[in-house]
Amino acid sequence: MIRGILASTALAAGLAIASVSASADTVNLTIGKLLEVTGPLSETGPSQDKAVKLAVEYANEQAKKAGVAIQAKDVGADVQGDPQAAVSAARSLVDQGASCLIGPAITPESIAIANGVTIQKRVTIWPVGTSMRLRTIKDEGTIFRTVPPDSLQALALVNAAIDKLGTANGKLASVIYRNEPYGEGLAKDFSAAWTAKGGKVQGPTVFDPAQATFDSEAGQAVANNPDAYIIIDYPDTYAKLGAALVRTGKFDPTKALVADALAFSTVPSNIPPQAIEGMRGTRGGTPTGTDAYKIFDALWQKAGGVEHFSLDANSFDSATLCFLAAAAAKSSSPAAVTDHVRAVTTKGAPKFYLTTLADALKAVDSGQKIDYIGVAGAFEFADNDDPTVSLFDIFEYQKGKLVVLKQIDATK
Amino acid sequence: MTEGGRRGGDAPSLAPQAWRRLSPALWLAIALVLIALGLAVVVGPVAAGQATLNGLVGAGYFALGAVGLTLVYGVLRLVNFAHGDMLTVGMYIAIAIMALGISFWPAAVLAMILTALIAMLLDRIMWEPMRRAQTSTLQLFLVATGLALVLRYSVQFFAGSQVRTVGLDTISSVDLGPWHLGRLQLVVMLVGLVTIVLAGIALRYTRLGKEMRAVADNIALAEVTGIDTRRTIRVTWLVSGAMAALAGILYAASIGSINPNFGFTILLSLFAAAVLGGIGNAYGALAGGIVIGLSQEWATLFFNPRWKPAIGFAILILTLLVMPRGIFGRKKARS
Repeated sequence: MIRGILASTALAAGLAIASVSASADTVNLTIGKLLEVTGPLSETGPSQDKAVKLAVEYANEQAKKAGVAIQAKDVGADVQGDPQAAVSAARSLVDQGASCLIGPAITPESIAIANGVTIQKRVTIWPVGTSMRLRTIKDEGTIFRTVPPDSLQALALVNAAIDKLGTANGKLASVIYRNEPYGEGLAKDFSAAWTAKGGKVQGPTVFDPAQATFDSEAGQAVANNPDAYIIIDYPDTYAKLGAALVRTGKFDPTKALVADALAFSTVPSNIPPQAIEGMRGTRGGTPTGTDAYKIFDALWQKAGGVEHFSLDANSFDSATLCFLAAAAAKSSSPAAVTDHVRAVTTKGAPKFYLTTLADALKAVDSGQKIDYIGVAGAFEFADNDDPTVSLFDIFEYQKGKLVVLKQIDATK
Repeated sequence: MTEGGRRGGDAPSLAPQAWRRLSPALWLAIALVLIALGLAVVVGPVAAGQATLNGLVGAGYFALGAVGLTLVYGVLRLVNFAHGDMLTVGMYIAIAIMALGISFWPAAVLAMILTALIAMLLDRIMWEPMRRAQTSTLQLFLVATGLALVLRYSVQFFAGSQVRTVGLDTISSVDLGPWHLGRLQLVVMLVGLVTIVLAGIALRYTRLGKEMRAVADNIALAEVTGIDTRRTIRVTWLVSGAMAALAGILYAASIGSINPNFGFTILLSLFAAAVLGGIGNAYGALAGGIVIGLSQEWATLFFNPRWKPAIGFAILILTLLVMPRGIFGRKKARS
């Protein structure tokens, strides 16, 4: 009897040890989401949340299918559009074991997080913010972007303006931007590219988003009847600035071009139609005809909830790249993940896509370098860890909906 | 008797003092008109006139929002950092009422009543016990800041954090010769002006107004003279709450887009208007609002608009250096 009990106990202990050993081999990855749930870009929060969730679910399925021992979960926090709150959010996610942080959307938040939390801990962040100000800090290779930077978006805006006006030569563009690094950098790059092509620039008219009125700013922007308006703003303030522009009686939205922060599938109800109908804009493009996009869109539609929003495919890709890097590192250690990002985006290595994610996981699990092509396209990061892709949508608001007119390579 | 106490006396003895009280307003008006004329000469009448109108719109927002703030400080010596969030509460209550199918103006009136009751309730459960316990100024300041956060996050909890709109027409404008002004902005200016003048008249000539001024001057003395100070304080909170709601509703309706942080973002300008005008004085809030509003918009005639908040507040500092108690400020009462 006693021998039987001892044998059973030994067997149970053996099984428990085997089980612990098996689970110890599995990489348990936590992906953090730095979401704009509140604040000036709160429109982006729900779609970014959904994109990362879908990426994690899909990658888990594919890892299981491939027999690769990695499992991920996502945790999220609100960055509130505020650098200080963003640092707290990042800290809480890192404390919960996050190895990568997807987001945030506002560059000063990313800079504060990098300086305050992630550089020291070698945690990668994958911001959706496009400002070149991000590249003024020494991030020790911890900040990767899957979104094309504003140095390229400025060229896309110039292309879009020429597309509208026929030429830049002698044309006056009135530049208006929100007083933030995003607006400042993009306006500066646009102005340089526009004047290089013979165009003239009025302003820039820079406004403080916290102001009670924007009528003086609007008056300055419409002075001299410019040929084009370049507006770099966020949705909440454009509701006020747009109304002020219309009140001048001189504003024509069909002359206006906006940047990606003002790209939304359906125009929010707080923006007057007279301020936006017929307006054109640019945003990081996603090739929609690919099989990868079809899978992504099918996942998106099946999940229900929020509609597609700008750069959701990029956040999906960021989470997938983090997953692949962890699989390549066979570790969820933030430093190991950081060190393996380039191993899964190596130019010249065998290419893998979302359609072959299971194969990609098998390849990286066997120690092979790969070039993963995301839903938004290839990344093949430059030395500064920004993508070298430059696909942009040129869109127009028609009857309150965003309609993509064409996709362009901004560098051509 | 205090200087403030004499002001609460018989009407005939008020005449010379009334003149003295009016004189800052006259001086201010003369100075502003001269500056406006000077600007018209330098930058042209169209640009100067438009900037002046834009400044008066801002003044309307600031002044209306600052009245409740200045009233509470005047009577209770409480720096109410939660006042900006009372604007938010009032606005969101109005939106909630409108969601029931009630149109804007009746919803606004109901929201003012409900916000006033919330303000009075907060006094009963929070501020009154603290007054009894003779809580220090620093503690009151921290409590007010904490209350602001509680109100803001309560709004977020119930209404969500997304941007909302009242849905009124924010783009129609009224042409005044070469100048233009938003129709709703004009309404805000007029309602603000009328409300502040009525508040000023009520404070000066009604019994309740005199009681509020008496409590403001010396609460102990007011009690000795038979004034029901508890009732007076509660009325002060009622009026402050209603005015905050009115300011929040009109401001939000006029700008067209709000989120739960909107009251907080305007709070600094409200304090600036109240302090510049002479804190504790309804007309001071108006004067302070006008100076802040005009100086910010006039600054855009010469500088990029990005600098206008800095210039507005630089003028606040300069004015306070010349008039440390604000435009309508008075010497500190001594019993």
